[in-house]
Amino acid sequence: MSPTLDRRLREQRARVLIRSLDYRQRHHARGVWFRLRRVLADAGAACIITEDDARKLVAEGHRVEPVGQELEPPKLIVFASSERIAQITSAEPVPMRLSRELLAAEHLVLAPFETTS
Amino acid sequence: MTFRGRLLATIRAARAVLECPGVLVVGSEVPNLLEPGAAATLIVSQDLDIGVPVDCHAAVKQRLPELLLHFLPSEDEPSVWTPRARDLLEVNFVGIDYRQDPTDAYMLEDDQLPLLVFGALSLVEPGAEIDIEGTRIRVPRTAGLLLEKLVTDRTGVKGERDLLVALGLIVTGGLADFDELDVVYRRLRPDLQHTVRSNLTILSLIEARTGMPDPRPQRAAIAALLRRLESGDRNLP
Repeated sequence: MSPTLDRRLREQRARVLIRSLDYRQRHHARGVWFRLRRVLADAGAACIITEDDARKLVAEGHRVEPVGQELEPPKLIVFASSERIAQITSAEPVPMRLSRELLAAEHLVLAPFETTS
Repeated sequence: MTFRGRLLATIRAARAVLECPGVLVVGSEVPNLLEPGAAATLIVSQDLDIGVPVDCHAAVKQRLPELLLHFLPSEDEPSVWTPRARDLLEVNFVGIDYRQDPTDAYMLEDDQLPLLVFGALSLVEPGAEIDIEGTRIRVPRTAGLLLEKLVTDRTGVKGERDLLVALGLIVTGGLADFDELDVVYRRLRPDLQHTVRSNLTILSLIEARTGMPDPRPQRAAIAALLRRLESGDRNLP
């Protein structure tokens, strides 16, 4: 076997082992990134907001996404309609990708896709 | 020469193998070829992946001498054939074993054409035959190839590019393809189903890249696909 093919085969088998571990631990801390991505995947848009505005949304009954509390520091992540988000003066849009900006935000409001709700 | 021109010239040059019964074009060029008129506008890639079912290995080997006019096997990786001219793409041979577990991989040792056989390719089923300027090539059914892309672990830049190939299949796929994908997905083991959904969440949040499909306009479709695959499953994390 050529060294290159041998390396590719070993890498493939290593990935399978890691995936197996990821799957077994998916309900634990190791699964937190999947759970975060899963929440973000349902959002058509995201905005960083102040803590006060985030608390207001929670007080209005907007559901807090549990995955935010699994992170350190914790994030307060809530979904709200685009119309409600438009009323939040502190709302600062952030691109929907795993950027430093989005991951560093401690208070996030997400707008669901209008066509898939 | 345009990228499409290079792709079509490569298909012509590899015709002897591509028209061998059982052989499939797999990988990043499939979405390009599935575009109307094989427009090849979705993905810029530097190789053509040729899937060789292990049962067809001997027949493909018999046809390899016809490729020598245009390609040379790479010394360090003989499953890769490099073009003799700059207007052709590399040809990359991969093995398909329909009896294989999707998580397994093995080497089909051979002096002339060794093949790395990826288990995920066992999910790929032969699909339509397409005429590409006189060469009859067979591409996989979209559902199986999409699942092959999504059950494979994708990390780093290469992984993201592979996921964007999956996006190309989502873009070119029709309703019937997604119905089929739903059926095949439900036959997968739970760990593979989880990997599929995990990769879809990554795909949803990938940055746009030059020469690849832009994920941003497709995020709603990806979310809808995720919800469809999750429907009725009570054991999700």
